[in-house]
Amino acid sequence: MINGFFRRLMRSSKGGSKNVAKKRLKFALIYDRLEVSDDTLNNLNRDIIEVISRYFEIDKKAFKLDICRYDDVSALVVNTPIIATKHKKRAKSKKAK
Amino acid sequence: MEGRIIVITSGKGGVGKTTATASIGAALAMEGRRVAVVDMDIGLRNLDVMMGLENRIVFNIVDAVHGRCQLRQAAIRDRRIKNLFLIPASQSDNKNVLTPDDMIRFSKKLRSEFDFVFMDCPAGIEQGFENSVAGANDAVVICTPEVASVRDADRVIGLLYARSITPRLVINRIVPDMVANGDMLSHDDVLDVLSIELIGLVEMDDRVVIATNTGTPLVMQKGSAAGEAFQRIAKRLNGQHDLPIIVPSASKSIWKTIGTKFGIRR
Ligand SMILES: Nc1ncnc2c1ncn2[C@@H]1O[C@H](COP(=O)(O)OP(=O)(O)O)[C@@H](O)[C@H]1O
Ligand SMILES: [Mg+2]
Repeated sequence: MINGFFRRLMRSSKGGSKNVAKKRLKFALIYDRLEVSDDTLNNLNRDIIEVISRYFEIDKKAFKLDICRYDDVSALVVNTPIIATKHKKRAKSKKAK
Repeated sequence: MEGRIIVITSGKGGVGKTTATASIGAALAMEGRRVAVVDMDIGLRNLDVMMGLENRIVFNIVDAVHGRCQLRQAAIRDRRIKNLFLIPASQSDNKNVLTPDDMIRFSKKLRSEFDFVFMDCPAGIEQGFENSVAGANDAVVICTPEVASVRDADRVIGLLYARSITPRLVINRIVPDMVANGDMLSHDDVLDVLSIELIGLVEMDDRVVIATNTGTPLVMQKGSAAGEAFQRIAKRLNGQHDLPIIVPSASKSIWKTIGTKFGIRR
């Protein structure tokens, strides 16, 4: 009885160990679900370069793709130096050749 | 009619897959269905001991799959429960003696012979998992209300979805007092983080250990809370989709139920 009373008191102040468990679980799952294989990353890298290259001339060697993790969000960060803008018409006429 | 093959899996070991396989299988047989439980843990067989059939093994799953015996010869008939059969694992082989293709072929035979087949999946997500899942129509994922177990369940659920299987969840080893005190994840907490339909809640029950000591099916023991929970899971698998899920509660007199309606599946 008294034991239960103190435990309840503790719980109201700390929230019970299950709240810690749930928080840890949520973060673990966020990380697990966001885990990207090297294969996926390489393919994404290739595809993004291809798409950007349709619009810009870029330095492919300096192109960088990263996944940054913060407390509760993950971000895909793409960083690339632009050498020149391609003009749409030119891109099209190139294709037509 | 063709039978259904249901894989019982969890990722993590020691959460109650074998207990669930034996109990749900026995309960469905008691409902009058023809049931086989299959031990897929090649090299580390367990289900036979849990069911008290360890002294009657002649042939095993590897023999049956490789055609060294007939399916009927490998299926040990339980003498206490009509229509219940065990197909034991082989103890001497390596996990890789079976392949998913072997299992897909063998599954056809199983489906024509039984109404329900339960695959007791080994821990992990390697070859043994692949083999257990290969021929399955359905899956039941087991977890306990602990961080590591729920996390592994999440991984396995993802792998099952990738194979177009929509699994359902059993949460096992619930200690109602600890849940009430805020020291154990509740089923709502678990369902909050896993995207999966619940099919049963099983509490921690000393009778499980007693049943495994004697090799008697848990569902034959009167007054076992875990046994009754497994019986209700079996009924749901057998088509009673509306049967409410009972939440294990600290004081036995107040059964709380959640009025979950179950849609008809597959
Ligand atoms: N509901 C329960 N109450 C008490 N003990 C349990 C319960 N479910 C499983 N156990 C015990 O937990 C241990 C692991 O169970 P088991 O079914 O062998 O797990 P797995 O097959 O997933 O490795 C066993 O000792 C079993 O007796
Ligand atoms: Mg086991």
